[in-house]
Amino acid sequence: MKYVIIGNSVAGINAATAIRQNDTQGEILIISDEQTRCYSRPLLPNWVIGEVSLSEERMFYRRSDFYEKNNFKILLGQKVDSIDTKNKTIMSSNSHTIEYDKLVIASGANAILPKNISGIDLDGVHTLTNIKGAKKLKENLDNIDSIVIVGAGLIGTKMAYDLSKIGKKVVLVELAKRVLFPALDDYGALLIEQELKKAGVEVILNDSVVQLNGDKKVKEVVLASNKKIQCDACLLSVGVAPNTSFVDSNILIDKGIVVDDTMKAYDDCYACGDVASIYDIVLNIKRPIPILPLAAKEGFIAGLNACGVETKFKGGFAMNSIEIGNTGFISMGIVESDNDCVLEFKKDSEYRKFIIRDNKLIGVILVNNVEKAGMFNWMIEKGFDVSWIKDAFLNSDFGWKYFDKAFRVLRLDRKLKG
Amino acid sequence: MKLVKINEDNCVYCHLCEVACKTEHSESKDIIKAVKKENVLSRCTAELNYPYSASIMCRHCDDAPCIFACQNGSMHKDERGYVVVNPNTCVGCWMCVMVCPYGVIKQGKNDMWGLSIKCDLCPDRSIPACVEACPNEALTFEEL
Repeated sequence: MKYVIIGNSVAGINAATAIRQNDTQGEILIISDEQTRCYSRPLLPNWVIGEVSLSEERMFYRRSDFYEKNNFKILLGQKVDSIDTKNKTIMSSNSHTIEYDKLVIASGANAILPKNISGIDLDGVHTLTNIKGAKKLKENLDNIDSIVIVGAGLIGTKMAYDLSKIGKKVVLVELAKRVLFPALDDYGALLIEQELKKAGVEVILNDSVVQLNGDKKVKEVVLASNKKIQCDACLLSVGVAPNTSFVDSNILIDKGIVVDDTMKAYDDCYACGDVASIYDIVLNIKRPIPILPLAAKEGFIAGLNACGVETKFKGGFAMNSIEIGNTGFISMGIVESDNDCVLEFKKDSEYRKFIIRDNKLIGVILVNNVEKAGMFNWMIEKGFDVSWIKDAFLNSDFGWKYFDKAFRVLRLDRKLKG
Repeated sequence: MKLVKINEDNCVYCHLCEVACKTEHSESKDIIKAVKKENVLSRCTAELNYPYSASIMCRHCDDAPCIFACQNGSMHKDERGYVVVNPNTCVGCWMCVMVCPYGVIKQGKNDMWGLSIKCDLCPDRSIPACVEACPNEALTFEEL
């Protein structure tokens, strides 16, 4: 059996691992257009400012002997140009044709380059979703005194804070009315915005970039409000789009690659991770949810199904964990609602918020007291009836002591899987 | 797999499990230094809602969500099959905290990075320190 995996990051690695655990003999080939072993993408901002280096193991997703130990073949620096799911072949950038018995597409997502911004091809315009983009920014760092960051999502916000920390003048521009728009509500976002401002970041909300000016290199950013900002560089972090350009017409695309509940996209072809459009159990729609924990899980399940161990993926939901300055938060599911039961607690720097629909938890925000977050994650995932325990959610010391005994004992004795 | 079984009816909220855990995971292995100077975080937590009390720690899940959520392989299963953190690579992103269904991972520190702190079932002992310290068999080490 020959398995081919397109993509050497979290989803691809977990798919390969699942296959190897169940098929010790099959050939497993991982193809990637990158040049390094699988690394930790969330650490890229830290790498850019020099907090971590490529000589440290913490920068990598798996140890250096991982591929050899698992007998994975790896083809680095090879872009996949096209696939033919009928004849079960892949065409790589150097015109090699590779055959497969089972294919796993884990090609991820890349930074969106907004087409409505003119001057986007100028030097000094950066993106930060992979090590290539991060390297360009890192190498240019000494020439940058001031930078405009477009998009206050996870990458933009973290990079804004980190660059400000090392003394750069940072302006963060966001189209929405608050930073970290889908991950936080107004109040939570305000706490993060205060941390950004404390670190010296200028935050501009409700505005967007329409034009980048400069001869060869970007020198000025023009906003929709006509405001002009002088800068040495610009980072575009307005989101990611799935890498699907190489797939053939047998594969259905709806934002990402559409998969069924076994992660199957077509006969003998699976998709997982940021490229896959999966079932969102909170929003009740199919969409790509480009977050690392889901990529790992989807990859593993895709791998199991590819090697014949039928396993169902029940779906996922958005979740985030970040710290900016002294404020750390974890959020899950939706973060605001006018039509559902909303519970809120604010005291000093702590903030707790829960959104409940039909007695099921569908959204959580925890700021500065996050250690029990996973218990709520479990409730969202399982569609747990919270009617009898929701009154305890707002207690800062929420824990097992608020559950009834029979349920608690079952869970802690591992009689109920979770 | 042998795990620490939590017998809540026997717990009297004495916190000896926490003291033993802190000592076991300290540099000095000395009770007073571990608790008062080194400020070690206990991997188990005694909680009270009278008359209930119990000491709660990692259940070492088969398909541990914390391992899937870890951004750089720091959270992993060791050769015994227990879920442990590599303190040399953990960066404290708290994605394990975000998904732990039992809420038993704590936020510690390690030089410049955060460090996830959780039960490692005492790799240097045949019986975990908390179990040995419990005067009442509120924690026992058995197949679960």
